[in-house]
Amino acid sequence: MSAIIEVSNLSFRYPGAEVDTLRNVNLTIERGDFVAIVGGNGSGKTTLCKTFNGLVPHYWSGDFAGSVHVDGVDTFTSSVAALSAKVGYVYQDFQNQLVRPTVRDEISFGPINFGHPDHVARTAEVITSLGLEDLAGRFTWQLSGGQAHTTALAAVLALRPEILVVDEPVAELDPARAHDIYQRLRWLNEELGLTIITIEHHAEFIAQYANSVVLMSYGAPVWHLPVDEAVNRTDELARHGIPAPQVIQVGRGAGLGQVPRDIPSAVSALQAAGVTARDLPRPPVSRPATDVVATARGVRHSYRSVGGNLHTALDGIDLDLHAGDRVALVGGNGSGKTTLLKLLSGILVAREGDVTVDGINTRTKSPGKLAGTTSYIYQHPQQMLLKDSVRSDVALFPSGRRMDGWQELVEQVIERVNLSEFAERDGRTLSGGQQRRATLAIGLAMRPRVLLLDEPTSSLDVASREGVTAMLADLSDAISCAVVATHDMHLVADWANRVIVLEQGRVAADVEPRELFAQPELLARVRLVPPQVAELGLALGLEQPPLNVVELLECLQVRERVSC
Amino acid sequence: MLRKQRDVLSVEWIKLELIRTAYATRGGMFSRRDPRAVLVWYLIMAFVPWFTHNVTVLAVLFVIAAIGVFLARVGPLVLGLFIIGIGFEIFYLILVSLMFGGNLGTLAALGVVNLKLGIISMASMAAFVSLDPEKLSDALLAFKMPELFAFGVSYGYRMLPIMVEEFNTVFDGFRLRMAPPEKRGFLGWRTVVHWAKMAILSFYPIFLNTAKNVRTTVEALETRGFTYATVDGRGRSIRLGQMRMGTVDWLLLVVTVALVVGAFAAGQAWPLYR
Repeated sequence: MSAIIEVSNLSFRYPGAEVDTLRNVNLTIERGDFVAIVGGNGSGKTTLCKTFNGLVPHYWSGDFAGSVHVDGVDTFTSSVAALSAKVGYVYQDFQNQLVRPTVRDEISFGPINFGHPDHVARTAEVITSLGLEDLAGRFTWQLSGGQAHTTALAAVLALRPEILVVDEPVAELDPARAHDIYQRLRWLNEELGLTIITIEHHAEFIAQYANSVVLMSYGAPVWHLPVDEAVNRTDELARHGIPAPQVIQVGRGAGLGQVPRDIPSAVSALQAAGVTARDLPRPPVSRPATDVVATARGVRHSYRSVGGNLHTALDGIDLDLHAGDRVALVGGNGSGKTTLLKLLSGILVAREGDVTVDGINTRTKSPGKLAGTTSYIYQHPQQMLLKDSVRSDVALFPSGRRMDGWQELVEQVIERVNLSEFAERDGRTLSGGQQRRATLAIGLAMRPRVLLLDEPTSSLDVASREGVTAMLADLSDAISCAVVATHDMHLVADWANRVIVLEQGRVAADVEPRELFAQPELLARVRLVPPQVAELGLALGLEQPPLNVVELLECLQVRERVSC
Repeated sequence: MLRKQRDVLSVEWIKLELIRTAYATRGGMFSRRDPRAVLVWYLIMAFVPWFTHNVTVLAVLFVIAAIGVFLARVGPLVLGLFIIGIGFEIFYLILVSLMFGGNLGTLAALGVVNLKLGIISMASMAAFVSLDPEKLSDALLAFKMPELFAFGVSYGYRMLPIMVEEFNTVFDGFRLRMAPPEKRGFLGWRTVVHWAKMAILSFYPIFLNTAKNVRTTVEALETRGFTYATVDGRGRSIRLGQMRMGTVDWLLLVVTVALVVGAFAAGQAWPLYR
């Protein structure tokens, strides 16, 4: 293999910054490699990738020392336009990368700009190879997240780059889509020989798809290792905010040295080591089904499309939500999760059927009046940050309604989500995890009986995700019932005591988390990816899938003690 | 009163209508024409009314523009706003001319100006409802507009649905979280003020969010050769090369010119001045 990217002694400082973002980076990436770049926030991953296509130093002109060679070209003397023909870049917020009205036009935009006479052929080729035929005529704002990501990828591929940089593909997508994207990247890597570089937080994806891993810390690579070796350095990865995949954690806990990365080989390795699993009694999670807080009766709802047709979102929902319920609402994109939340919050009223919250039919009161009973927290925190500081955002509702002692309430709530030191900051300047906690505070300050959250852990790195999950678990005394629409099965496993599975606007299952993970065929049908421990547990012959690493290890340890 | 999901005259409906109008999703005769032909048709219809005071000519032009609106399948929102606009215009003309001691003669004279404005409004509706952003920006390029302007127009269209959605969400946020006035006031004026206030406040988060999002857009444009294309002319010629003036396009222009000439001939035969 020959090197396609050679970075030597590279340092870079953004204009006006006090410290170098990249410090003395030396790195070689081989042609045809599939590299995952990992590291904590602010470790310089994104900046490093922007040196490959010349955005650094040609667009971001800071202090640049050292050299970067891409396919033999010195990027310092080249240009963004010339380098873009070699290096394609798909952004983390890829929605903002789409600039044209239709998908086909988006794809041909690059080739036409560069004046390639074969732009029609290039566009057609990419559309066929990524299977976008049905979407080609669509408007880019009509696309779902996964479709938009594929379109952004296609638009970049139309320039026929040799290197593809993909920044955190998993952040904005549900796990099933993220696997689709990764499988596509693997195909591009194996079949077309593209060099793939992804920035990734999720060890499970790294373990499954990458060939080599670069760990970045404080602006420089700590090491660049083959993936087998890299994922087994669990402690080091955990220190940099990347907990090891659950399979590796289990293997380590069971005393294996080098743990295989995927479930089938982990099962054989565990069995070879004489480890077997035995079910432990797991009593059902207590769900006091007494006090009914919210109901839905015969609810049907549909949206009108641009073409004038009605698209069914919910098709006959009957539900009772009880005090003490911690409901996870799961299902694929378009299964009606957000619609159900909006109906429960009273923002929408159903075309048919009735929703009552705390005994109030939502048709009888305006959303503003219902807001104190049931509050809805949007998926994108920036849509809820309406004022210029976190404190005034939290205070907006209680101060306007002159709630008794609202000043103390606001301080209490801000304290509770650990944002006291940021209370005067504009919410937009906070990190992703802090923004989520700010929106949580906004919801709590409304003192609702029912709290509704839409994807509270999406686009968060693992550490902030666990922070939000822990915070939700901690809130049970403040609200009587919480409903969370989510794709995050770790959140389901760690927090929920009831899972409602929606499929095409109907309730496909209403179960406990453990029962859900025991039904692989249902999960596959609604495109959910269970936590690795659950899959591993079932593969080891357990009847009741474990919800976390500790539970699985308990099952294994019992057997070990017997055998000793 | 119980709340109900409405399909017409609701925020959702306005959003859909805006998008249908901007993206020409209803089809219609003009949307199948070469965009240059549509723009030329529009220019003819927009300029000609200013060269005459003859009511006969204007009446014929009005009919031509109305046929244009019909063929372009203009949606109910835009058409409704136009009719309401004309209605208010007539109402206030009557009011003003009576208040300042005028008579029906003054009203007729002012009516002629309104007839002209009506023709132009209808022509713009027919033309711009039928041009989706791509076609419009290509036509602007063909008429030697700067690349940046043509792109700006199509990018504006792409942002429109997103901005409308974002405005809707932020506005809903204010509705949920800002306390409504306790009393509605005379004719509900407090409520009106409250709504206006929320609409204005909504712009603050939208501007900041958009400013943040656009940073990626600008970088992405750079990597996809946008700046390169403004220097190198090949991209432009590829875009222009994609347009074709067909028989029907030429026919549209010939028929329009013939009808306009016919209108003036009719004006000569049966002149009517006010």
